[in-house]
Amino acid sequence: MSKYWAVFSLSVQQQFYHRASFFLERLRSIIVIIVFFAFWSAVFEGRDHLLGYSRSQMFTYILGMNILRALVYSDKTWELMYEINTGKISSYLMRPISYVGFCLSRDAADKSTQLVSAVLEVVVALWIIKIPLYFPAHPAALLGFILALGLAVTLYFLMSYCVASLAFWTSESAGPRFCFELFLEFSSGAFFPLDVLPRVLLTVFSVLPFASLLYFPLNVFLERIEGVYFWRGIGIQIFWIALFAWAARKLWKKGLKDYGAEGG
Amino acid sequence: MAFLMQFTNRWSSLGWLSGKFVRLGFFVLFVFSIFRHVPSVAGYSLEGVAIFFLTFSLVDNVSQIFIRGIYMVGRDIREGDMDFYLIQPVNPLFRVCSNLVDFLDFLVLFPILGLIAWIFPRILGHLSAAQLAVNVSLYIALCLNGLVIAFAVHVLIASLTVRTQQMEETMWMYRDLVSLGRFPVDIYAPFLRTLLTFVFPIAVMVSYPSKALLGLLSPEKIILAFVLSGLFLAAALALWKNSLRHYSSVSS
Repeated sequence: MSKYWAVFSLSVQQQFYHRASFFLERLRSIIVIIVFFAFWSAVFEGRDHLLGYSRSQMFTYILGMNILRALVYSDKTWELMYEINTGKISSYLMRPISYVGFCLSRDAADKSTQLVSAVLEVVVALWIIKIPLYFPAHPAALLGFILALGLAVTLYFLMSYCVASLAFWTSESAGPRFCFELFLEFSSGAFFPLDVLPRVLLTVFSVLPFASLLYFPLNVFLERIEGVYFWRGIGIQIFWIALFAWAARKLWKKGLKDYGAEGG
Repeated sequence: MAFLMQFTNRWSSLGWLSGKFVRLGFFVLFVFSIFRHVPSVAGYSLEGVAIFFLTFSLVDNVSQIFIRGIYMVGRDIREGDMDFYLIQPVNPLFRVCSNLVDFLDFLVLFPILGLIAWIFPRILGHLSAAQLAVNVSLYIALCLNGLVIAFAVHVLIASLTVRTQQMEETMWMYRDLVSLGRFPVDIYAPFLRTLLTFVFPIAVMVSYPSKALLGLLSPEKIILAFVLSGLFLAAALALWKNSLRHYSSVSS
């Protein structure tokens, strides 16, 4: 375990190499929060409820979006693509360390720093713009949220790992990866609640893995998804995790067989 | 050369292009969907909000086509390519800007222009021919003015990069600030509106053209827009020249 802890520790330190860049990134996130807050304030003008959300629920969704994006979407599988395409992965494969464990440690480091940063950004935003927040009345909602969030983090890691594994077969995976991430962000509710979209799209995204990443955990927290619908959502998450875990394993094994160590 | 570079990696370029279409498509879907639930946002109808969003997309897109090369100036300096640009018989600023022309953004222009053409009759249909000509001319002039401001901001950031070699994050912060213009700036608090007009002239870049088209921009603000862009451009070019004078090669 100490080697994975060393990877984790070094990855955290790497985040702070360029401190000015790190702090500018934080400022950028605060700007995004301000944009969404201003837009939804304008939309909510003269009304207390919209799309089934109260004002406090909607603003909590926006802030929750920022934190969950940092936790779910922060990952280092871009580096996996780079390491495969340049042959650098060869050195990791020869070391007495599981490459998947190495990736997980690196990811955990990135998620830890991004999560702490996102919470601080939200605190600063709250201090600047005094947003009304919603907190779940029942502890069960909080527990359900933690469960759904953990599954969402696992699901995104596996999906991202599968897409990154395409680098074994092509050096042109950056473009498709960019398209995949953008589509995922929109269809998971990372820019706006999916309730805005036509009902048919919400249904499709809910059954597919997309809404499981952000929209579902956030709505569990807001107590808008409870009871049988909660367990249905958990079931959908587990199904897609199982599918992508199988796919990631298959792709990884096939990829290693076909790997040519170009550049390595 | 830039065109050939992008079409050598066809699958990657297709992925980047698809991502840009996904982003545009989802934002258009969002704008149209939100108006299924509300009649107006900040006093603007669907067509009003749509023209703000499309004008932002237009100005941002066109500026990215022609000024994308400036994003690489930090890398060019660190890797020594800047030394070669300076001794070539071409304006160094032009050389830096044209280093990378994003033709994929050019393709994304077509749906943006198509949607703008679709919206125009819906917001301008009630105007007389003379008023229509004035509004559209002002819209085009202020869009071009917005491009001048975008260019000036990029040159400012490039000048700072020549001095410090580490300003890439500033470029992305500028992009985030520009995204504040995605919606009418009237939705922001007065303090922020002032900031977005006089300090970071995002409102002038992307909101003023739409307001002029809708007949909501006063003559004073129209003049202000052109004066601001002139001042920004002059300051940016002066800073660029000054930065080049103090440039010392990092490596080559």
